[in-house]
Amino acid sequence: MNIFSLAAKNLMRRHVRTGLTVAGVAIAIAVLFSLLSFNAGYERQLGGELNSLGIHMLAVPKGCPYEAASLIIHGGVIPKYLSYSDLEQVRKIDGIEIASPMLLHQFFKDDKPHIVYGINIEEQKALKPWWKVEGRYFRDDETGAMVVGRSLAEKENLKVGQVLDFGPGKVPTTIVGILERTGNQDDEFHFLPLAAAQHIFGKEGQLTTIAIKVDDISKISAISKKLEQIPDIQVVTMTQVMGTIMNLVGSAQALLFSVIIIALFISAVGIINTLIMSVNERTREFGMMKAVGASGWDVSRLIVIETLIITLAGCAVGLTVALGGSKLVEGFVRGVIPYSPGGELISIDPFLILVCIGFALAIGLLCSIYPAIRCARLTPMEAMRSDLE
Amino acid sequence: MRDTIIAARGLSKSYRRGSENVHALRATDLSVGKGEFVSIVGPSGSGKSTLLHLLGLLETPSSGRISLQGRETSGLKERDLVKVRRGSIGFVFQQFLLLPTLTVEENIELPLLFSRKSVNKDRIAGIMEMLELTHRARHLPHQLSGGEMQRVSIGRALVNEPRIIMADEPTGNLDTATADKIYSLFKRLNEGGLSLIVVTHNMELAGRADRVIRLRDGQIISD
Repeated sequence: MNIFSLAAKNLMRRHVRTGLTVAGVAIAIAVLFSLLSFNAGYERQLGGELNSLGIHMLAVPKGCPYEAASLIIHGGVIPKYLSYSDLEQVRKIDGIEIASPMLLHQFFKDDKPHIVYGINIEEQKALKPWWKVEGRYFRDDETGAMVVGRSLAEKENLKVGQVLDFGPGKVPTTIVGILERTGNQDDEFHFLPLAAAQHIFGKEGQLTTIAIKVDDISKISAISKKLEQIPDIQVVTMTQVMGTIMNLVGSAQALLFSVIIIALFISAVGIINTLIMSVNERTREFGMMKAVGASGWDVSRLIVIETLIITLAGCAVGLTVALGGSKLVEGFVRGVIPYSPGGELISIDPFLILVCIGFALAIGLLCSIYPAIRCARLTPMEAMRSDLE
Repeated sequence: MRDTIIAARGLSKSYRRGSENVHALRATDLSVGKGEFVSIVGPSGSGKSTLLHLLGLLETPSSGRISLQGRETSGLKERDLVKVRRGSIGFVFQQFLLLPTLTVEENIELPLLFSRKSVNKDRIAGIMEMLELTHRARHLPHQLSGGEMQRVSIGRALVNEPRIIMADEPTGNLDTATADKIYSLFKRLNEGGLSLIVVTHNMELAGRADRVIRLRDGQIISD
């Protein structure tokens, strides 16, 4: 027998109460871990997604709010357009390696939004060298051909060679290729040659945005200033996009973190309540222990260890639940925040596991201080004579 | 003349109960010799348990001094009193106060956990054999009779090899035959050289001690 087995046996005396307290801690830790993981995963995936665009900035029509411009890259459609003369002016600026015009269009099928990208395929392949295709890419001058993202193909059960009636004019369009999975938003889109997309959707000569890659990232700021001098153009850099999206989700995150704090507070109150009840019930026993040789420190240690067993058991259960149920939590959180990038949002980070264990230890110590000190100060007869109030 | 194991001089204890000042013990002098078996008797409220608790250093007197094995204990802080109690005194309580989740063997071992002594299994087995508890070693307290629980409590008091056993109404919750057996056990321990101070209501059992101290209204009326 040692102090740990003594503490564990004491806890099993009221196993239902102990179990409920462990459950309370587990819920708090599961929420804490899930949301911390989500927060870390969200920023990482968003950064990764922006990098996967292969571009450094977007030229968008002037007057387009930052929020709307930020969503362009995720398929958001804005009702203003750039022209080919804007594109020519952009291409004249020194230091721009690629300036790729794009037209975005959104349509609904079975009440679900579908995003169409009209692109110059060779430029996009240069921007996204990791793209691989099952089948083939279309040519820029080709009509009646398109490439689709992998997730879209799976959801809609699309195959290479299949012909779809596309756009308001029901133009027969053949799927010539399906992109291999990229892990980002490209998996969800239809890609058409730019000219064909403009024709199908009646947007001849119109561009939604120009994706720009510079040859030296240290020149981004200078090139951005030059671009802003073109009358119709406003520039959004990827850093601004990330900042805008993080602001958009900031309020939702604040709400989630307030939920964590409330869950942890309720859990802490529950632990303190359980401990005080447990200590009160056993005051005479603590008096006996002191009479047979236990010091105040021994009694305090026993109470602290009991609390730490509860909080660490709760932490273990909570982490297991959080790891096991991360998909559910991810689905829930995706539903309550305005925008979430593709890929795994909840990451299993050992550092976050250590943070949760540290947090459980801190809660345990904090909750046990009061009952431990109160009990340690009693003389043996004070403890044996009366129950604590 | 025996050597003195514990001596009290001018011992008194008073405390507040509501607006009333209660004098539980008044200016009491007492000495107990090594190897002596002392019974303390008296009616309820006579101060006999208070006297035992003061002698056992379980609470501090309002005034007076106590020396244990020649060492003055007045002014010692609780952390020092713990060490004195741990090394010299074994306690037996009327309500047994066994830990319900520990087996008989573990309850007996409990004080060793606090004195940081390693468990000598042979010694624990010897104590259980002397107390006729060997067959109950793995049982929990709720599976025991009252007499068995009190014997476990005595085993727990003996495990640190004390110089003196102090028992507060050890037979108060036991029937006559069981109480008689417990006293016989005390007598055997005393014959082995252990000092005992036992508080009891039972005059007949008290008479089996070497010496009977009678208290009334917080004062010794006969010794």
